[in-house]
Formats: sequence, structure tokens, C-alpha cells
Amino acid sequence: MNWKRKYQPWKHTIPAFILIGAIIIFPIVYTLYISFTNMNLYHWDNYGFVGFRNYIRALFKVDSGFIEAIGTTFLWTFLNMVLQIVIAFFIALGLNAPKLKLARVYKTLLMFPWAMPAYVSILLWKVGIYNTDFGLANKLLSWFGISKIDYLSKNVPAFLSCMVLNLWMALPFMIMMFDGALQSIDQSYYESAKMDGAGFWVKTLKITVPSVKNIMMPAVLMTTFTTFKQFDIIYLLTQQKGALTGATLQTIITYVHQKAFVSNNYGLSSAVSIVVFVLIILISLFLNKGLKEEAL
Amino acid sequence: MSKKKIKNKIQQFFLNLFFIFICFVALLPILYALILSFQSGTAALSTKMSFFSGTLTLDNYKNIIFHHPLFRWLFNSLELSVGTMIVAISCSVTSAYAFSRYRFKGRIQTLRLLLILNAFPQILTMFALFRLFKTLHLLDSKPGLVLIYAGSMCIFSILNLKGYFDTIPIEIEEASKIDGASETQLMLKIILPLAKPSIIVTAVMVLIFVWNEYLFATTFLLKDTSYTLAGGLYQLQASDYSRSWPLFTAAAILISIPILIVFFIIQKHMVSGLTSGGVKG
Repeated sequence: MNWKRKYQPWKHTIPAFILIGAIIIFPIVYTLYISFTNMNLYHWDNYGFVGFRNYIRALFKVDSGFIEAIGTTFLWTFLNMVLQIVIAFFIALGLNAPKLKLARVYKTLLMFPWAMPAYVSILLWKVGIYNTDFGLANKLLSWFGISKIDYLSKNVPAFLSCMVLNLWMALPFMIMMFDGALQSIDQSYYESAKMDGAGFWVKTLKITVPSVKNIMMPAVLMTTFTTFKQFDIIYLLTQQKGALTGATLQTIITYVHQKAFVSNNYGLSSAVSIVVFVLIILISLFLNKGLKEEAL
Repeated sequence: MSKKKIKNKIQQFFLNLFFIFICFVALLPILYALILSFQSGTAALSTKMSFFSGTLTLDNYKNIIFHHPLFRWLFNSLELSVGTMIVAISCSVTSAYAFSRYRFKGRIQTLRLLLILNAFPQILTMFALFRLFKTLHLLDSKPGLVLIYAGSMCIFSILNLKGYFDTIPIEIEEASKIDGASETQLMLKIILPLAKPSIIVTAVMVLIFVWNEYLFATTFLLKDTSYTLAGGLYQLQASDYSRSWPLFTAAAILISIPILIVFFIIQKHMVSGLTSGGVKG
């Protein structure tokens, strides 16, 4: 009887764990295994073990490009998050201005970029906005008499183009989160501040920001993580198979994909995957500390 | 007093102006695509700054529906998403229930592990999966892809459903236990009906995930008859997109409409589901 009680709950989890074991956990273990071999296109079956050589190459040889990718990833995450938080905060503040009657209409319209399937948006931007010859961005420029820009062929413009697109796609979610957080603030704070003659900036910095901070924490951490993991934007804009635009921008996730599926260096790619995985475990341990444990 | 009123009016005017501008920027790429999808091929490719050049036409839509395998793609997407929904939900519902209702050794640790695994980007192990599936001859097979999708959505579903189970009072189950209901009866007659709203929302989110997934679909399904909507659209723009660009926008609009509708229906649940914790990344 005792035995049954003890194992009863696990019985319920068997189907899920078979699935997770086969699709999530086994590939991670297998990736670890591959990371110690020299597996590549020419050594598909007759690969040999090379110890830590792939790890050393990824982490200590500059020409591997991995260190650069780490730098790009952190810069990407940092810039996107700062801009997202600041812009979303002020837009949400505007949406909550007392006399804005059409706020609901604006909110619904602003939600569209979030609702669109991500890859559709990215492809639409790629051909509709950033295309050198007939993209909207260059049409606008020529309208103002400025010469055309090749948005995706050099690293810096490509990075900025990807960032603008990411902001466009990610801001709606952030705005809605801020909007919800702002609405939860007790209005009496503002009334008493008004009595004391506080202006807009004082009210914002002394009341709004501190009240919103804690509520926004989970959403901000979550978005930081998705920004860090962002793959689709950079991949679809600059490095689709057979449609490389010239920019050599790589974040760590696109780096792994490129090494595995373009240059077919499976050993190196797997080693980098494992490094990234360890990095993610460290980050999520850190983030979980910041989040409430009540979810468990 | 009236001076203040005027000041307020002006403020309001500029605020509205600001938001009209912001909304315009947010909708511009979509509107532009929408307009282009109604134009003939040559007009769309003109480099002039014009929104409405030439006459409006439905040719692109006709073309994409009748001369391209759009329905084939739609059918493939439906097959994959329904399959994934069934596998993922049926696997996760019982474990979500176990994690919510039982207190057992290793529960917290397992949940933590699930949270970390949920944050893991699957692209990182895509090659290992690819090699595994190649060895097992599961490449280019829809059941194989369903397994991958179900596996990647399983953790999300467990956490999401568990969060909902936690909010159902346990008293209802205890009452039926006293009435002599067996475990299976309890599950089918009491738990599932109670959890229905959450199961529906989770299932729809699984559906959106599969509908929007292109990378695994284009890597694991190699034949062009097995393309999904996402894979097909991807291929449409990858193969000489400058020629088929108006066609591509028409396809993009058609593919987005169902997602937009579903999104706005369940949007409220998505926000609350995301903020109430349990699901991250």
C-alpha cells in the first residue's frame, strides 16, 4: 500500500517523461557526446574522439567567432531591453492618460505586430521594408532625396535593422504588460502628490516607477530571455540558405545553427551548444532566484 | 478656468496625434503588405514612392489559391497541429494533475528541472535530433515531426495546466472520492471538465506554435508535398522572391488571418497565463 502511494504520482507522469526524455533530454545528452568528437560531413560515421579540442577551439581561438558572437548577443540583449522598457513605459503611460478616450482602440491596433506570426512579419519586413530596390525604407529615403542604403549587407546597419524589427515585434507585449501594471497602481497616491504640488516627472519617478518595478519583474526577465534566444530575426533577415545578404552578424544561437547546418562542423557546433546550455542554466538559476517560488 | 480647458484640449489633441502616429507605424508593414497584395506584379516592383499605383486586383489571391499548393500546405499544417495538440495535451494533462495534487519526493526538483528545460532553445540540439531521426528513418515523416513538436510543447503544457489545477479547490475531488469514484472516473468525470478552459487555451497555444513554426518544418520535411503553411511561405519567398513578391504578400495575409482571429479571441488568457507565473521563456 505504501509502495503504491509512493509511486502513484510518478505513474501519471510516465507518458510525458517518455516524450520529454526522447525529444528534449536525449538530444542534449547526444549533443554532449558529439561535442567530444570530430564529427563533420566527411566523418559522418567514422568519427573519432578528440577530447576537449572543440571546446578549446570555441572558447580560446579568436577565429572561431564564438567570442564575437557572445559579445554580439549581450549587446543585442542589452540594447533591445533598455529601448523596449523605456519606450513601452512611456507609451503605456500615454495610454493611461486620464482623458484619452480612444485608448482601447489604440491598444487593439498596437497589438497587431504581436499577433502576427513572427516569421511572416520578418519575411514581410525583409522584402517589404528593407529590400534595397523596392523596400519601403528606401522609398521613404528617396522621397526625402537621400540615396539608397543597403540595409542588410554590412554588420552595423544589419544589426540596427534587426533591432528595429525586434522592437516592432516585441514592444506590443511590453506595452500591454506595463499597461496592466500601471492600472494596478492605487490612484490615491497621485491625488496626494497633486496636493503637494508634484509635477509630472516627480510623480513618475517617485510613484509610478517604484510601484511598477516589482510587478514588471517577471515579464521583463522573461522578455530578456526571449531576446537573448532570438534566432528568427537575424537568421531570416540576413542568413537564409542561398540568400546571404553579406552581413556576418552572429549571435550564439545563430552561430550554433550555422556551424551545424551550413559549415557542417557538428563537433564544434555541439560544443558551443553545451557551453550555451550551461550559460542558460546559470542565467535561469539566477533569474529563478529573482522570481517568486510560488509557481512551484 | 477656460484657459485650463484649452490647455487640456491641446494636450489631448497632441496625445491623440502621437498615438495615431504610433499606431500607423505599428500597422505600416502590415498595411503595406495588404495594399501590395491587391496590386499587379509590375506595380508592386516599381521603385517610385506610391501607395496606390495601377488598379486593384484579386489576381494574386486567385493565383496563390489555385496555382500554388496552398490547400496542400494548409492541410499539412492542420494535420501537424491537431496531431501535436492531441499528443502534447494527453501526455501533459495527467502529469500536470500529479504535480498539482500529490506531494511526493522529488516533485520540486523535477519542476525546477522542467523550468530549466523549458528555457532551453531547441535549435541547440537540432542537429542531434536530426541525426537521431535520420538513423531511425523518421525524416520526412509527419508523425516524426509531431513527436518533436509535442515534445517541445509538453513542458509548457504541463506547467500551464498545473497552474490551473492549482486554482481548482481540492474539496470537489475529495467529495467524489468519498462517493467511491475510482481514479480514472475521477479524472474523466471531474478533473477534465473542470480544467476544460485551461486545456482549451493550452491547446490553442500549441496550435499557434505549430502553425508558426518554420525551422523544424523546413529542416525535417524535405519533400515539397509535405510543406506546411510556414514552410511553403518560406519557400515561396526563398525562391526568387522579387518575382513572386505580390504573390507572397497575398499568401502571407491569408496565412495570418486565422492566427490573428485566434489571437484576439484568447489574448486575455494569454496575458494572464503568462503573468501568473509557471511559464517562462
